[in-house]
Amino acid sequence: MRMAIQGIGISGGFGQGVSALQDALQQGAVTPQAVTVERSSGVDNFPAYRSDIEGLYEFFPKRALRRIDHFSKMTLHSACLALQDAGLLESDRSRTGVVIASGYGAMKTTFDFLDSYLDFGYSCSSPTHFSNSVHNAAAAHVSMQLKATAPSLTVTQFEMSVPSALLTAQLWLAEGRVDQVLFGAVDEYCEVLRYCRKQFFGAGEAGPVAPLDFDRQSAVVGEGAAFFVLSRATEQAAAYACIESVTLGNHAAWPLTLPEDDRLIIGADGHKTCADWYRQTLSGRRVAAYAPLYGSFPAAAGFDLAVAALSLRDGNFYQEALLGTEAPKTTTATPLASGEQLSCLKFGPGGDYGLIRLAR
Amino acid sequence: MEIKAKLKQVLIDELNLEDLTPEEIDDDAPLFGEGLGLDSLDAVELVVVVQKHFGVEIKDMEEGRPALQSINSLTAYIKEKQQA
Amino acid sequence: MSRGVAVTGLGCLSGAGMNLAECLDSMFRNQRYPHPPVRFSTDHPVSYPVLELRDEFQLPLDDQETIYTRTSQLALVAALEALADAGWDAESLRGKRVGVCIGTTVGCALNCDDFYRTYKSGANPKLQVIERFLRSNPAAVIARQLQLNGPTQVVVNACSSGTDAIGIGASWLRAGACDIVIAGGADELSRVTYAGFSSLMITATEPCKPFDVNRKGLNLGEGAGLVILENEASVAGKALRGRVIGYGSACDAHHLTAPHPDGLGLKRALAEALTMAEVTPEQIAFVNAHGTGTPDNDRIESRVLHEVLPGVPFISTKGYTGHTLGAAGGIEAVFTLACMARGEIPANIGFADPDPALPSTPVTVNTSLKADYALSESLAFGGNNAVLIFEKGDH
Repeated sequence: MRMAIQGIGISGGFGQGVSALQDALQQGAVTPQAVTVERSSGVDNFPAYRSDIEGLYEFFPKRALRRIDHFSKMTLHSACLALQDAGLLESDRSRTGVVIASGYGAMKTTFDFLDSYLDFGYSCSSPTHFSNSVHNAAAAHVSMQLKATAPSLTVTQFEMSVPSALLTAQLWLAEGRVDQVLFGAVDEYCEVLRYCRKQFFGAGEAGPVAPLDFDRQSAVVGEGAAFFVLSRATEQAAAYACIESVTLGNHAAWPLTLPEDDRLIIGADGHKTCADWYRQTLSGRRVAAYAPLYGSFPAAAGFDLAVAALSLRDGNFYQEALLGTEAPKTTTATPLASGEQLSCLKFGPGGDYGLIRLAR
Repeated sequence: MEIKAKLKQVLIDELNLEDLTPEEIDDDAPLFGEGLGLDSLDAVELVVVVQKHFGVEIKDMEEGRPALQSINSLTAYIKEKQQA
Repeated sequence: MSRGVAVTGLGCLSGAGMNLAECLDSMFRNQRYPHPPVRFSTDHPVSYPVLELRDEFQLPLDDQETIYTRTSQLALVAALEALADAGWDAESLRGKRVGVCIGTTVGCALNCDDFYRTYKSGANPKLQVIERFLRSNPAAVIARQLQLNGPTQVVVNACSSGTDAIGIGASWLRAGACDIVIAGGADELSRVTYAGFSSLMITATEPCKPFDVNRKGLNLGEGAGLVILENEASVAGKALRGRVIGYGSACDAHHLTAPHPDGLGLKRALAEALTMAEVTPEQIAFVNAHGTGTPDNDRIESRVLHEVLPGVPFISTKGYTGHTLGAAGGIEAVFTLACMARGEIPANIGFADPDPALPSTPVTVNTSLKADYALSESLAFGGNNAVLIFEKGDH
């Protein structure tokens, strides 16, 4: 069953909202923030694509958000932006499902909870931090603040989180369990994540991100939330584009078949471990990768999906390159032919893949 | 600092009631429901707050419920336990 | 048109036993084995009993806990038991589209407190524990170990995750997205959740008493419960463990940790599942309730059951297993199917004195069943409610 994308709300290192994403796509790259972490072992300076959540206070009074952590604030903000974009901010949500995909969940809050007992003893473990560190807390805050009483689902599958969760969202719509799905992809930056990435990749975390240079580690950590209002395409024309199909599998267990003519938005984000899978499967294909706009994090697959939807609506494909050539060159914008389809492809390190196919 | 004043300040800090000043919290108003508007999750967080900032343990909610009525009742409970 | 989705295999392990047969044996003998945690310690002044896997339990893979987290290994053990029960081996699964849908909580949380303590001290902790976490997504572990090709999904809907995972797996099958789905839940006992639940003041200092007037909270547990789901068309002639014929879920949208006072989400989930299953309350042989033993949960559940399924016998099996969080819905689905095949349910252990505030009470002795359908329900953090309805199988 085809799903129609009726609204998009997005927040990341490039700014907030669809128009900020559109500007970033035209430019082809966004300068990450300079972040400094001071520890007794030394000072660490590095780039990161961080997301701002100040815009959330336009939607809710501060008091309503007092117990909501940064992860859930990003989530809630993009959810509101998506509803606003679809003109549904005031609508009844008793048949709106909430589906959230996150590679890591509210990692920072998990460490805040550990702080509470490591600093003050187990009897001072904070129940508020604990409750917010549970993976579905963000979905719960969305449901509570937006009065969405239909089914709710949170999925975590590292790099596969977005296609995996989208598969279930699609079936909920197909089965008539819900009339709309508020679908979101969220991940957050935290200091410990930076520490791990630095230990793993060293200078390979300093950017600038060169996603199509498959031989080089060139990632920059990112965070943000991308939300979509999805409905059945049979009932309503899509404001952006339609999601035709969602396929998950493992290329190592059973070879992946790619749609022959589609141009592809690929999840290559400067990580060498996943790059080989793209190299193996995409020689001679016209592709684009947008990690230079929002950085590297598992939920970025949702950002790729937002770009695909926007590209189809605008009839433009941004930053295209032909793979298999020496140092592929990118073209700022090339028109999409009427009826042309796009596919989003994301590989995990073990050859597991998610393929999302879209049409206008 | 006097227990009551300290209690109001840690309540604001730990329960993120930044929209309030200590002066705005009525000593006798109910902490939960109408009044300050706290809920069951705040109640268990308050147990931790009292342990952490005043070294006073509330073992379970049966013991805690009478103490957690208002700023005055909680102040009295903390005073009593600290002197015991 | 086939009725529901076939269940062809069951696998489970918990504090009640190392496999399904052992779990059933201890439950029908009305035995339980709560004790203070053995695998970790805290400086907490109070010790809460838990239901851990027995000491002699060995993780199946080499290098023990260094390869995968305990949660993923528990999931793998239950998956292998369920696949064997269904007559599948890894070789015969090649070329099929096999989905894996697993509920968990601890299995996806970066609960590395030793690592983090070192980090906080200013030193640079080694990354083994992080590498293990990154290898250990429970659905991915099962897919990787068995070299499967198909969708993988870890459902993190807190305590309803296992129930949701089976409902979602059934949906994948009905839509033709898979030939086979391995679905259920897995969770290990962790110091972090132990600290978290005690901070919420909902863990009991004694063995839990679901639905009893003196219930003081839950006991944490660990384990995994998985089912093998297949399309009706492809299981002709095979002896079935039962069928998944209904699934419903809904969100209270009320509070982060407390259930809706009128059980609104639970009622909606029940209604959706009953409609999908096309069964009436009279056809339900029993309900495997969530029954954690906390004052709030049991009160809401008893009231809703009394209203929606009046007179239907119900039990909580958490007295035997403890609350296994993300695994609970998986383990309880397995028990529900196995009890139907046996034609009886065990006594709700821990219940002695009725609570006048609860309009209905659980069964207090092993009870034989009089109908061919059963229901399993889960209530979770964040206001999630999920319900599965099963049809009795052949064995």
